[in-house]
Amino acid sequence: MTIKEFKLPDVGEGVAEGELVSWLVAPGDRVKEDQPVAEVETDKALVEVPSSYDGVVEELFAEEGQMVPVGDVIISFRVDEEGAGDAETPDEESAGTESESAPSDGPAAESDAGQAEDGGADAEPDTPSGRTFAPPSARRLARELGVDVAAVDGSGPGGRVSEADVRAHAEGDAGSAGADDADAPEPRPAPTDTGSDGRKSAVSKRDADGSAASSGTAAAGPEPAGRETTLATPATRKVARDRGVDLDDVPTDETRDGEAFVTADRVRAYADALEAAESEPAEPAASDSNTTDPEPADPTPTGGATEATTASGDETVPYRGVRRTIGKQMERSKFTAPHVTHHDTAEVDSLVEAREELKPTAEAEDVKLTYMPFVMKAIVAGLKRHPYLNSELREDDEEIVLKGEYNLGIAVATDAGLMVPVVESVDEKGLFELAEEVNDLAARARERKLKPAEMKGGTFTITNFGAIGGEYATPIINYPETAILGLGAIEERPVVRDGEAVPAPTLPLSLSIDHRVVDGAIAAEFANTVMEHLENPLLLLNE
Amino acid sequence: MVVGDVTTGTEVLVIGAGPGGYVAAIRAAQEGLDTTLVEKDAYGGACLNRGCIPSKALITGSGLAHEAGNAEFMGVHADPAVDMGKMIEWKDGVVDRLTSGVEKLCKANGVNLIEGEASFVDEDTVRVAHGGEGQGSETLSFEHAVIATGSRPIQIPGFEFAEDHVWSSADALDADTVPDRLGVVGGGYIGMELATTYAKLGADVTVIEMLDDILDPYEDDVKRIVRKRAEELGVEFHFGEGASEWSEAPDGGYLLHTETEEGEESSYGVDKILVAVGRQPVTDGLGVGNAGIETDDRGFVETDDRTRTAVEGIHAVGDVAGDPMLAHAASNEGIVAAEVIAGEPAALDRQAVPAAVFTDPEIGTVGMTEAEADDAGFDPVVGEMPFNASGRAMTTGHTEGFVRIVADDETGFVLGGQIVGGEASELIAEVALAVEMGATLEDVAATVHTHPTLAEAVMEAAENARGQAIHTLNR
Repeated sequence: MTIKEFKLPDVGEGVAEGELVSWLVAPGDRVKEDQPVAEVETDKALVEVPSSYDGVVEELFAEEGQMVPVGDVIISFRVDEEGAGDAETPDEESAGTESESAPSDGPAAESDAGQAEDGGADAEPDTPSGRTFAPPSARRLARELGVDVAAVDGSGPGGRVSEADVRAHAEGDAGSAGADDADAPEPRPAPTDTGSDGRKSAVSKRDADGSAASSGTAAAGPEPAGRETTLATPATRKVARDRGVDLDDVPTDETRDGEAFVTADRVRAYADALEAAESEPAEPAASDSNTTDPEPADPTPTGGATEATTASGDETVPYRGVRRTIGKQMERSKFTAPHVTHHDTAEVDSLVEAREELKPTAEAEDVKLTYMPFVMKAIVAGLKRHPYLNSELREDDEEIVLKGEYNLGIAVATDAGLMVPVVESVDEKGLFELAEEVNDLAARARERKLKPAEMKGGTFTITNFGAIGGEYATPIINYPETAILGLGAIEERPVVRDGEAVPAPTLPLSLSIDHRVVDGAIAAEFANTVMEHLENPLLLLNE
Repeated sequence: MVVGDVTTGTEVLVIGAGPGGYVAAIRAAQEGLDTTLVEKDAYGGACLNRGCIPSKALITGSGLAHEAGNAEFMGVHADPAVDMGKMIEWKDGVVDRLTSGVEKLCKANGVNLIEGEASFVDEDTVRVAHGGEGQGSETLSFEHAVIATGSRPIQIPGFEFAEDHVWSSADALDADTVPDRLGVVGGGYIGMELATTYAKLGADVTVIEMLDDILDPYEDDVKRIVRKRAEELGVEFHFGEGASEWSEAPDGGYLLHTETEEGEESSYGVDKILVAVGRQPVTDGLGVGNAGIETDDRGFVETDDRTRTAVEGIHAVGDVAGDPMLAHAASNEGIVAAEVIAGEPAALDRQAVPAAVFTDPEIGTVGMTEAEADDAGFDPVVGEMPFNASGRAMTTGHTEGFVRIVADDETGFVLGGQIVGGEASELIAEVALAVEMGATLEDVAATVHTHPTLAEAVMEAAENARGQAIHTLNR
């Protein structure tokens, strides 16, 4: 048996860290090489991290939802000897070479390996022929929680595995059951935030901080107050009886005559929290998080998709993954860059005609020609004339970088949330080439098959809300860019020509700028240039 | 694809409405999946129509007749006459009620039922040919399929079931007269169940078995009790002989010719020959190859512990997926298949599948024998309770047989059990529960059992294994 560690690989150009969205395995699970073990979110791309080894998952070092720096050990595997041979040639991104030397890295690593070997012996079924004694209900629970029942330490007679044992294992108590652990002076280094030497074990934190759960579910529930006496009305006492709650355990800060006083509402809230904790297996709690928080954790691999129903009938959906990435990015942009939005409308008769004329040629080349490439070219014309729209403000350096490249991000609505793939060097590409590239990126964005690198390096962003409906909006800048252009739908709207209102195809434009960098006048001039090019597509020939 | 053909889509297609298929279909429908069940013959499959149910009906009828006529020792005098036609009619009534029940249950659960023979076109389409001339066919596309086509009796060369006097087990369950002389080829559980049944109905039964004993997978002391009882009923055994051919006898009837490995030949005068040498999977006509599914050298579809075949989206359950070829295993697999399809964390991680043989006396087994436990690396401890020490057994007049319980000495976990005797098929359920629950000998022994019952013997066997038996001498 050898222990192999696995570091979060560099999943994309310049990506320094990723959010560990979900674990797809649990300690004790047997994994095959290339089997996905975790989903990591980096700059809106969800990347599956494959295992480099055949072996059994020994330990998880990150929690779901945690940001993990690239290069940090996130998981370790117990690799059997034949498997170790396989791991001699790990893929380059993996921790193969480092893991060879891991046991000599220091006392921490040594104790890890020692512990793991002991754990390995524990995890081997005590009974012959791989038999684990557990009733069907415990086996089913193990499957639900992704736990290998053979790796669970049974607490029943002869080591029989109960549902509680399975839950405890899933929550991370498994490693602490081995007798040898008690002899180990300090099985784990003190948790620190970064660096593999000081890494935290997501599955053993409760042991590490001394608050090991005595029973599987109680640890995740609210902390019982445990008072001697509690005052309450008879009605409240009945509620407590009905809900199976000990009044002395219900937290309260109210007092009557110097004694703790509990209301029926508090009893219900406490009972709800208990039930929520019992109905959902608890996420391994971080030592720096509040372990008494009754908020149920989400154990499912696809964190973002899970919904929970509270007692009041409200649904809670975890704020995770792409949603949270988008949220943080929006928050940062909105509260960093003072937004000003400039609206205007281009009359695009000529553009519509130009596209119609080009369409057959495009189709002959198997290209689906939309208006987007024209808009992109028009934007490039505007950016060239007004370079501050194609810039980035570096606050720390107190400088504005005027970008030399014209890389346009295209916001794409997907089931998972907004994705912004980037079309690079738009100034150097033809309409058809742009059309193909945009179509490809958008399709792959919807399938979530974009590589992180394909969403980096943008200098200006386009958001096409008109594709769904609407005329004007307030686009939020894709920070740290300086501007973003929102497109409404091209539709016939009344315009005044020669003193008469006539219908004409128009394109509503909404341009948001970072007012720290760009003033309204420049924004209007940029918009004018863009509109000029959209209204006279021949001008695009010059771009 | 024919002109005008319309392909109907279904989320789950189940082929075969036996105990694996109909259970899978009902559970899939309960899981909210659009489910279609295709059956070419009769709802309930072999179990309801040609196996478990009809055989148990006849076993009960013949047993009753035999008991009534052999109860003088209790002071009961009777000379029962068996109206075979009436018994078959009653048996058919039981079968009809059950098969129509299956159909109703399927419909009540929202399963779409199609009668016809399904054949894979590719990995997500089947063609269903409706029975009869001009009935046409239809095409079904599916997201998931469950193959549950079951098994059929194996034929041996020279003994075609089409012959009037060569019976398959199904024929033996439909016969409206009892032959004077029945030759049974095969001493496995089907052969032995029918041999005992016909012996009780008054036939002279001769069993031909190539091996040197009956009921190959069972332990010697289990076999001995069943064989001894069969011999008491007049069954004649010839071991080490294989059926080679049959011929018409000069005196009417037929001669069943046998041959040993050494070439010694024998002939037995019979009126009917029952061939019961095993069952083979039904995959012919199913076109599994079109779906990309390969079968093993015996024709079984290989599956994993989630009933999945090598082709994504296609599962196989029951006899067609191989051993254990038992109706209750098929049903369990059907449930797992449906739940796996529905995305639930189901799997076939049962610790043991109990088996019952409805001979006289019955056999019930589950889990490991002592030898198997030893081979598996356990330190087996065994406890036994003979039925001749059971008060209830004595009051039934049947004291042959025993309950044996096998456990791990170190931990006390119950690993298996073998029961031969009255109601063994029922009693084994307790041992099965113990094995599945990870119960210990103490758990079984300390569970209060009703007195006077045969089930007490299970408790006593557990006590015996612990050296604490009260009613037997501890081993």
